[in-house]
Amino acid sequence: MSGIIKKLSSMLQRGEVSASELAASYITRIEKLNPVLNAYVSTTFEEALKCAGEADKMIRAGMATALTGIPMALKDNICSDGHLTTCCSGILSGFRPYYDSAVWEKLSAQGAVLLGKTNMDEFAMGSASETSCYGAPKNPVDVTRVTGGSSGGSAAAVKAGIAAYALGSDTGGSIRQPASFCGTVGFKPTYGTVSRYGLIAYASSLDQIGPLALSVEDAAIVYDAIRGKDGRDQTSLTTPDGATSLETDIKNLRVGVPEEFFGEGVSDEVKSAIEESVRVFERAGAKIKRVKIPAFKVALPVYYIISCAEASSNLGRYDGIRYGYRAENFSDIDDMITKTRTYGFGTEVKRRIMLGTYVLSSGYFDAYYKKACLLRGQIISEFDGVFRECDVLLTPTAPTTAFSLGAKSANSTQTYLADICTVPASIAGLPAVSLPCAVGAGGLPIGLQIISGRLRDGTALAAAAFFEREAGVTAELCAEVKL
Amino acid sequence: MAESQREQKISKEQFRALARLSRLSFSEEEEEQFIAGFEEMITFCDGINSEIEGDASSIREVDAREIALGDLRADEVVPSLPNEKILSNVHGERGYFAVKRVVK
Repeated sequence: MSGIIKKLSSMLQRGEVSASELAASYITRIEKLNPVLNAYVSTTFEEALKCAGEADKMIRAGMATALTGIPMALKDNICSDGHLTTCCSGILSGFRPYYDSAVWEKLSAQGAVLLGKTNMDEFAMGSASETSCYGAPKNPVDVTRVTGGSSGGSAAAVKAGIAAYALGSDTGGSIRQPASFCGTVGFKPTYGTVSRYGLIAYASSLDQIGPLALSVEDAAIVYDAIRGKDGRDQTSLTTPDGATSLETDIKNLRVGVPEEFFGEGVSDEVKSAIEESVRVFERAGAKIKRVKIPAFKVALPVYYIISCAEASSNLGRYDGIRYGYRAENFSDIDDMITKTRTYGFGTEVKRRIMLGTYVLSSGYFDAYYKKACLLRGQIISEFDGVFRECDVLLTPTAPTTAFSLGAKSANSTQTYLADICTVPASIAGLPAVSLPCAVGAGGLPIGLQIISGRLRDGTALAAAAFFEREAGVTAELCAEVKL
Repeated sequence: MAESQREQKISKEQFRALARLSRLSFSEEEEEQFIAGFEEMITFCDGINSEIEGDASSIREVDAREIALGDLRADEVVPSLPNEKILSNVHGERGYFAVKRVVK
């Protein structure tokens, strides 16, 4: 188990380094690496040093937690009072929120040190972070490759050691897939366990905030700090008290392997890496069962219909009146709204708004949206059935390793296939963690996805922690980024 | 021409109606490109009609409303955000959002 949070925390507690010195060292590294990696789209260094000073006071007063003084990053769609938050979209250019998101409220109360906002696909719509209005971030493992998306900047920042951990958001795989591509741990909690208050909405019934980190333990520490019921998000859920246990009774663990996740489009090296991961569990005494989730084959279109439908409604609020960009030279208010949206949104966002409007429109509603909702019910039901026989499912996180920058950006539906293994858990609201399990051709990381039942977040994390210990494949920091 | 029309999933008129509903506009050239990509997306979404093995007769529909309306909090009045903060990064005038005249 590598991880970095506990190591840094104990150095801070023992006085080997101050939070201010630690923040300064991260800032120096960001200044060196970010011009190439493009992981951060805005930085908050002044604020970071101020927060670090406060963290030093908390440490001296004996009030520190594991996250006090630890430098971190937020995805550019998570609000923090007064800091640029743009969803990497022209339509929110210059937008500074006037309140804190629930997650940042919780972390800042613990003395977290915010270094800045990380790059992402515009409004989290993409799988390679290439739809960002700031240009794509680069994968620290190989800077000619994509980071994955949409939380690509968060994954790159963690991997390159320019944030000790970062928060991302996951609608159809946006934490797990970049974690897989960059070789970090990424955890999407059960839908509702982390408040979405202050997360700029893409698809509200799917969006979920979660951590990207260098170990399962680090991800669990962050998850414990941000979860819990919040009256400002009516979908939020009460979670158990106390820290998430990462202990697991491996001999009684029932591990399912759903065959559909190994179908067409999944590369041979990914398939064999996951099969080898299954054998790690098998050798330790876990009970392996091959299972079926037949509705897997419709999961991707179901996801795109539902997410675009919700996006077309959620993004209706961008009218140039209340926040962000406003077009100039318009004839009347309708013209102003249309021009603002036309110039402010990027191509992929427009495409998804249009698709969402189409599937919700009279004459197509039943054939697309209503049917997708029915199939969502079927996917949930099939997962329920599988989790009566299994505690966790092992699958690939992504069908391939990170592809080259620009290789798929011209073809949207090809890019959608990068989400094929992650959307089923999103549709069903299940917790799922991605962690590195092997290194593929070109030294590129391969991610193992571990899914567990609803509100059994601890089961997925504990199984992941077991694998990390047993397999000895860890999310090492990419200390030397070849620029 | 007839062949390409038969394959079209969306006409220019339908596309323009959707654009109006979405409050977006496209030039003629953009429209051509966008329609092609849009049709590809619709074809992709038609994948929901794939046959799935197993009995789905007892499955019920799950939509966003069910997920979103699970646990409503008490309707309590809490302080609002101050006007000056909300207007800090938009076009505001005298404590209001400023827009072009609507009523003519």
